[in-house]
Amino acid sequence: MMQPLTAKELEYIVDSISNEDLLMKQCAVTAATATTPGIRQLCLQFQQVHEQNYNTLLSALNAHQSLAPTQPSNS
Amino acid sequence: MYQNHHQALLPDEDLAYTILADLKRVTREYATGATEANCDNVRQMFTNLMNTTLHLQGDLYRIMKQNNMYSAASPCLKQEIDKQIQQNKQNLQKTQQLVQSITGGHQQHPPGFANLVTPDQVHQGNMQHPQNPSYYS
Repeated sequence: MMQPLTAKELEYIVDSISNEDLLMKQCAVTAATATTPGIRQLCLQFQQVHEQNYNTLLSALNAHQSLAPTQPSNS
Repeated sequence: MYQNHHQALLPDEDLAYTILADLKRVTREYATGATEANCDNVRQMFTNLMNTTLHLQGDLYRIMKQNNMYSAASPCLKQEIDKQIQQNKQNLQKTQQLVQSITGGHQQHPPGFANLVTPDQVHQGNMQHPQNPSYYS
């Protein structure tokens, strides 16, 4: 069963989104500038995987949006 | 503004190494995320992302090694392995004696203990191919 996100989980998800974002850019630069064909090819594939990962993390935030309380609990 | 000259400012191995280092770091962060998760769905998502990232890191390492961009550490000597086996066999014996003295020889296995995968089984090819982290998509 899906539970509301904890503050910690939110932090990890948001940090992970930043990581995937940076990796997408790094892979794009490497795919565009590297001269080794194997590296170029791999980075092109990686860029797509990182975009998928980014979307997975974003979907997790979306999925938990409606479950989140609007006021802090006292417990 | 953006010019399409695509000239490398860094050599290929530096570019690749930067990504490799980040993939190692991100793998660890996903593992931490999974261990810190409260919600099962979040734990599963981080576990899947960890497997995917670990897989990418392995692929990049392999390509870098093939292109002589990464020199693997030199092999350790046989006598060093022999020494470690000897030391750790003795250590295991001591630990087993200690455990026996604590439990009084009655080792209670938790339910499902027999189903646990041993490291040997993992080496025999029981590793699952990482799944796509499509839990939420």
